[in-house]
Amino acid sequence: MSLSARLGYEKRQGRVLEINDLIGGYGSVQILNGASLRIGRGQIVALLGGNGTGKSTLLKAISGLLRPWSGSIVFDGSRIDGLRPDRIVRRGLVQVTQGKEAFPGMTVEENLSLGAHVERDRAKRAASLERVYSYFPMLKEKRGQFSGTLSGGQLQMVCIGRGLMSNPKMIMLDEPSAALAPQVVLDIFRTIHRISRDGMTVLLVEQNVRMALLLAQYGYVIRDGSIHIEGPADQLLHDDNVRLAYLGGTVANREATLRR
Amino acid sequence: MDYLIDLVIIGLSVGMVYALVALGISLIYSGLDIVHFAHGEIYMIGAFIGLVLFQRLALPYIPTLLLAIILTGLLGIVLERLFYRRLTRAGGGYTVAGMGMIIAGFGMSIVLQNVAFLIWGAKPLPFPVPFGRPIELGNLTLPMSYVWIVAAALLLMFSLNLLLRKTRLGLAMRAVAYNKDIAYLSGVNVPLMISLIFGIGCALGAAAGVLIGPINYVQVLMGIGVLIKAFAAAVVGGFGSLPGAILGGLLVGVVESLGAGFVSGTYKDVYAFILLIVVLLLKPSGLLGVEAKLKA
Repeated sequence: MSLSARLGYEKRQGRVLEINDLIGGYGSVQILNGASLRIGRGQIVALLGGNGTGKSTLLKAISGLLRPWSGSIVFDGSRIDGLRPDRIVRRGLVQVTQGKEAFPGMTVEENLSLGAHVERDRAKRAASLERVYSYFPMLKEKRGQFSGTLSGGQLQMVCIGRGLMSNPKMIMLDEPSAALAPQVVLDIFRTIHRISRDGMTVLLVEQNVRMALLLAQYGYVIRDGSIHIEGPADQLLHDDNVRLAYLGGTVANREATLRR
Repeated sequence: MDYLIDLVIIGLSVGMVYALVALGISLIYSGLDIVHFAHGEIYMIGAFIGLVLFQRLALPYIPTLLLAIILTGLLGIVLERLFYRRLTRAGGGYTVAGMGMIIAGFGMSIVLQNVAFLIWGAKPLPFPVPFGRPIELGNLTLPMSYVWIVAAALLLMFSLNLLLRKTRLGLAMRAVAYNKDIAYLSGVNVPLMISLIFGIGCALGAAAGVLIGPINYVQVLMGIGVLIKAFAAAVVGGFGSLPGAILGGLLVGVVESLGAGFVSGTYKDVYAFILLIVVLLLKPSGLLGVEAKLKA
């Protein structure tokens, strides 16, 4: 996308998150090599990339679990890099980690309530709970069950629900479709769409590239710890580089390629 | 028969004291992933603080107990912030820092013993609490001090359960015990919760010390024996499991009391370890032991 088009896009939407030249990693191993990205308010933005490209590391740096070595992260008008994760949650930015990590010894409702920890007002916590149940009616039925007894899809709902409980301005989802049945994936994506329609900004990290780009308005492709390709989602969906690298093309395309 | 019941009652009340200390050790282990080897000294310091409050300040027994619990809890928070936190950080977050943590625990135990020695001296001090006449139940006479221990310990365990199960703070502490990253991402102030968990663990130790004080003397070395028994109790019940710590404490207390009464009092300290070995042979994870992943 041209610079003027991008500026126009940003002006229309207003930025909620802006990351500049983020460098960081684990121990002495550098993973992020100057990643920069911008997310407009109310958008669904897809962050794509293969295994080991730095997607999860970038999310951890944004949510505060990993302290970036250099670069800046501005959320909602103020710097958040270097803040403790719970402080970042208080500012309205929540990460839902990969791997459906719920607390097996807690009931569904306890798991969800934990997500509203920052809210002291009992009535507001109850309202958040009802809102999450409206997104995931299934969880209301299972509210008293220990989350250790849930299926993968239900666990993912608990994790996303827990992230929504603090009423954040923006939620970051790390591979919500991983290891789930296609029908469940569809349900989850539908709910993400609803959440976004209700005004929340969503950063969606996915391996399921086609689905993510169909849902998102804008996309970033990360490679070797920095942004490799970016653009409006429909454009990326038809971008030859993205298709070759991540979408694999259609069967007809592949056969055509083989014949050549 | 009466003799047996007497022994069981004595065993249960002493077991309650072991259970309180074991509960503190298990709580700290589940929250901080460290085995706190200075917990016997926390129990000892708690007993001395209680003695000072009771004798010097002439407070009644219940306020003494409560105030000693609170003050020792605060002391625990200070120790965690000043010393243990640095070690857990050095170990890469709040995980096991290996040998360093264990040695630090022993070091802390020696330091606390010597501090107590400098303040209160080596002589065992009496903690005379006028509990009034024993309760008579048929042929049984129950000394009030034992009744007190059981009642107070049950009340504390009940409150702890209420705190952990029913409050926002308790939920956050359980989350921290299970997975610190997810607790962080749920907006929980993890370092604060870790301090609170450590403080509550120490407070339980102090409660045990103040409760046992009127039965035994209060002295600088009183923590060593209790630590070992409480440790056995925690392992018998399943390390890190809170109901396990209570069950283990009671079992150790009763087995010890029966052994001393029916076999020989000389080998009083051996019975707890026979129990420990038997349980570990039959169920290595402890009676109520769960997979580490389920400890929350």
